[in-house]
Amino acid sequence: MKRNPKLIAAVVALAVVLLAAGPTFLPPFYVRVGQLMLYSAGLGLAWAILGGFAGYASFGHSAFIGIGAFTAGLVESQYSTLPPPLLLPLGLAAGALSCAILSAVIAYPILRLRGTFFAIAMLGVSHVGAEVTNNIDFFQGAMGLNFPPLAPAGMDPASFFYELFLAGALLTLLISWLIRRSRFGAGLLSIREDEDTARMLGVPTERYKRVAFVVSAVLTGLMGVIYAHSLGYITTDSVYRDDTNLSLIVYSLLGGMGTLFGPVIGAGLLVFITQVILGRLLDFHLFATGLLLVLLILMAPGGVNGLLNRKRRSA
Amino acid sequence: MDLIAQTLADGLVLGGIYALAAVGFSLIFGVLHVINLSHGILVLLGAYLALILSDALHIDPLLCIPPVMVALFCIGYVYQRLLIQRAVDRASVNSMLLTFGVALMLQNVMIWLFSPDMKNITPSYAFNSFKIGPVNFDAVRVSALIASLILLSVLAAFLRYSSMGRVIRATAQQTMAARLCGVNVRHVYALTFAVSAAFAGAAGIVIGIILPFSPNDEGTWTLNAFVVVVLGGVGSPAGALIGGLLLGLVSTLTAQYIGPAFPNVTMFLLLVLLLLVRPQGLLGNAFSASR
Repeated sequence: MKRNPKLIAAVVALAVVLLAAGPTFLPPFYVRVGQLMLYSAGLGLAWAILGGFAGYASFGHSAFIGIGAFTAGLVESQYSTLPPPLLLPLGLAAGALSCAILSAVIAYPILRLRGTFFAIAMLGVSHVGAEVTNNIDFFQGAMGLNFPPLAPAGMDPASFFYELFLAGALLTLLISWLIRRSRFGAGLLSIREDEDTARMLGVPTERYKRVAFVVSAVLTGLMGVIYAHSLGYITTDSVYRDDTNLSLIVYSLLGGMGTLFGPVIGAGLLVFITQVILGRLLDFHLFATGLLLVLLILMAPGGVNGLLNRKRRSA
Repeated sequence: MDLIAQTLADGLVLGGIYALAAVGFSLIFGVLHVINLSHGILVLLGAYLALILSDALHIDPLLCIPPVMVALFCIGYVYQRLLIQRAVDRASVNSMLLTFGVALMLQNVMIWLFSPDMKNITPSYAFNSFKIGPVNFDAVRVSALIASLILLSVLAAFLRYSSMGRVIRATAQQTMAARLCGVNVRHVYALTFAVSAAFAGAAGIVIGIILPFSPNDEGTWTLNAFVVVVLGGVGSPAGALIGGLLLGLVSTLTAQYIGPAFPNVTMFLLLVLLLLVRPQGLLGNAFSASR
């Protein structure tokens, strides 16, 4: 099958318009679900730039959600007299900057570790971040931070944040797509396949890994800032969450590790399963997620994409 | 001066228990190269079994160690044969996630069965204590420490002198070579897992008599085990002991002199530092998996 770029562009544009128009025709409950799906998809995509492409599965990306959210909150409370339309860009910039600086610094030691060691060291980073935020009064993690309401008058806040999450997810998708088709992206894939060989063949693995780490961290931080605003009030526990750390891996596993749309499919499916199908059975969530994880690893290590490919190949 | 001595003593007691709680994790890691994130669940399972047994039979919780170890040995063997074995040869992150999935499920089951509340195993001598010089020792903590050290020595002797232990060590060193010499590697894997689960269960009992526990603690015990193993080195009881004592000292010293909220922070800084400087752990069983 030959790909027609015009057709693809048209389909993408149509999908974006449909998604953007979502809040106008969806019932309120599904606007909330859509918000969560877009937020998760954005996070999953950002995670996959490092975890999917380069194969460095981080187990602690909620660190960047937390750092982004708390930086934005603290900066915005300093300039609380500014009008709300200026506050959000300010918060986003501050959150992105702090994530960029922090990730660039920890990239040096932490990217020397591989596989499970990297995963657990990142978990450590997120736990340390959470404890520091919780225990140093300056960060107000234990007390909580308030965010000013941003939604313009006359617009439902849920729809407003839906659109923001959509914008964030689309930006992340665009960046992943650009990375995927660039020389840089090919370099990341070669790191995943065999880092030592890639390095021997002249791929600047250290630099590529660091850049991917920082990009991933910044995008995660941006989503975190939007998320914090949508909550309106955050404490340490609402952003540094271990279930987020896990979900990010599950999205990619479910959708297909290392594929462009894998995290989007995975996030959509998982949010649908947990929020809509199991919405009433809160006691059952942990069990269901665990069961899903076990089944995935045993039966479909390639995720939904992997299953589709297998079918295509055998057909 | 007394405060320092007391803190050091507390740290060592705690460290001995950390070491016991980590030794199974270390063995699985060393032999199967699997990061067993359901380790904390096995620890808690031991604690809950002992709680039920000692309540039902009115016996000292430490006497529950043998039956609980046997039970967990069987559970561990089956768990490995049915689930873990299928993911052993895949990418390391896969087997880690598999155990994580199992941990989530079992944690949920434990919340249903035992409620999410904190529980305690209280032996009859719970409130006795004695003094050596200026330093105060609780009877419970000391008996817990002694039980830990005995169990660690038993495991060390098992690995060192028994033929089964020799086979396990051989498989850890070179799986392929062991297989060529006629070792049934799958059986050894399952057996290693079973032994590790048994020791995790025993650790659970020891933990249960000195600290309160709830199903939500499993993550803490898994992480502690991981830190201990990274600090001490993989696959040997001696490594676990060194790592455990170090972790115990660091966390009590931090809690005493920096602030009760910071043990985890120093613990992880130490962990990352050590991974960078000496990835094979202090008692270096060098292994290449980390880089």
